[in-house]
Amino acid sequence: MANPQGPVGPQGKDGGQSPTSDLAARIARAQGERPSADKPASVGAGVTGASRAYRLVAEFVAAIIVGAGLGYGIDLVAGTKPWAMVVMLLIGFAAGVLNVVRSAAEMNAAAAVPPGTPAVEDDDDE
Amino acid sequence: MAENPIEPIHQFRIRDIVPFGDVGGIHFGFTNSALLMVVSVVAVIALMLLPTAQRRLVPTRMQLISEQLFTFVADMIDASAGHEAMRFFPLVFSLFTFVLFSNWLGLLPYSFTVASQVIVTATLAVLVFLTVLIFGLMRNGLTFFRLFVPSGIPWFVIWLVVPIEIVSFISRPVSHSLRLWGNMLAGHIVLSVFGGMVVGLASLGVFGAIAAVLPLGMAVALTALELLVGALQAFVFAVLTCVYLHDAYHPVH
Repeated sequence: MANPQGPVGPQGKDGGQSPTSDLAARIARAQGERPSADKPASVGAGVTGASRAYRLVAEFVAAIIVGAGLGYGIDLVAGTKPWAMVVMLLIGFAAGVLNVVRSAAEMNAAAAVPPGTPAVEDDDDE
Repeated sequence: MAENPIEPIHQFRIRDIVPFGDVGGIHFGFTNSALLMVVSVVAVIALMLLPTAQRRLVPTRMQLISEQLFTFVADMIDASAGHEAMRFFPLVFSLFTFVLFSNWLGLLPYSFTVASQVIVTATLAVLVFLTVLIFGLMRNGLTFFRLFVPSGIPWFVIWLVVPIEIVSFISRPVSHSLRLWGNMLAGHIVLSVFGGMVVGLASLGVFGAIAAVLPLGMAVALTALELLVGALQAFVFAVLTCVYLHDAYHPVH
């Protein structure tokens, strides 16, 4: 709002003013009206439910595949036929749950709090 | 080419446009997939360079689109990866625009969806993974491996937590690529199934043609949905790249 004739100045109809003279003031005003939340966060919050579900499923399945694959590889190298795969598959399940919990926490953090929600202390332990 | 073109998988067939022949038993050629990649890249470059060549103060519509695209990705990196990650802007921007354009161009008839081949998405995901790994190690040294050791964990749980964290870390490129690939593949198969229904019903006579309106309407709606999914998946791919880059800068959590 450094422009002195900005807020009260003509909106472009009066003569003598170039059409861009109060542009800076108008941009500043429009930016003030814009919600302060970051654009990406609000776009992320608008993600459809199906794509959130896809994301969680992919996180979970990927960790299991990786766990089983690592176990199979260790078995091939070390010659401990079923055992490394059994252990790594279980660890893969655990990592899958961890992935899902983390991305769900991210989604919760990105989503706006719905109006009328009572204020409850956040017991997030991450 | 004896197979049925109505079959939903037919659209994912890779065909040679310019075969280069076999080298050591591996077939090389300029395929329809490669063509669409080149077209996507050319389209991105054209969108970014042509309208901004004049650098107007009051932008034209096309210049506004490219500027908005630029700001959008810059804001995304700022919010998800932190401001210091801005040096990876070229990487994130290229990934986002390439995936976005190839997804949208893949919706055109007779074209090809690049992201419906898992090898393409896996390559992109591994590129991001290796970038994070190598840059994280270069920047933090061995401190980078603190990523696998969450703080405040008692010593007797560490031996269990560290393998889980490692598997979780290695699973990132897998889920990163599977998500994009699965979404594009599933969307295009569904689209093609409804398109095939239209053709099948319409060939059954007058009543069939009337009934074919229903799957046709479905195909139109799904095309709109696919536009959304294509943009959304490009966005998710870029955001996750930013989230992973954030770990390269802040391995201790």
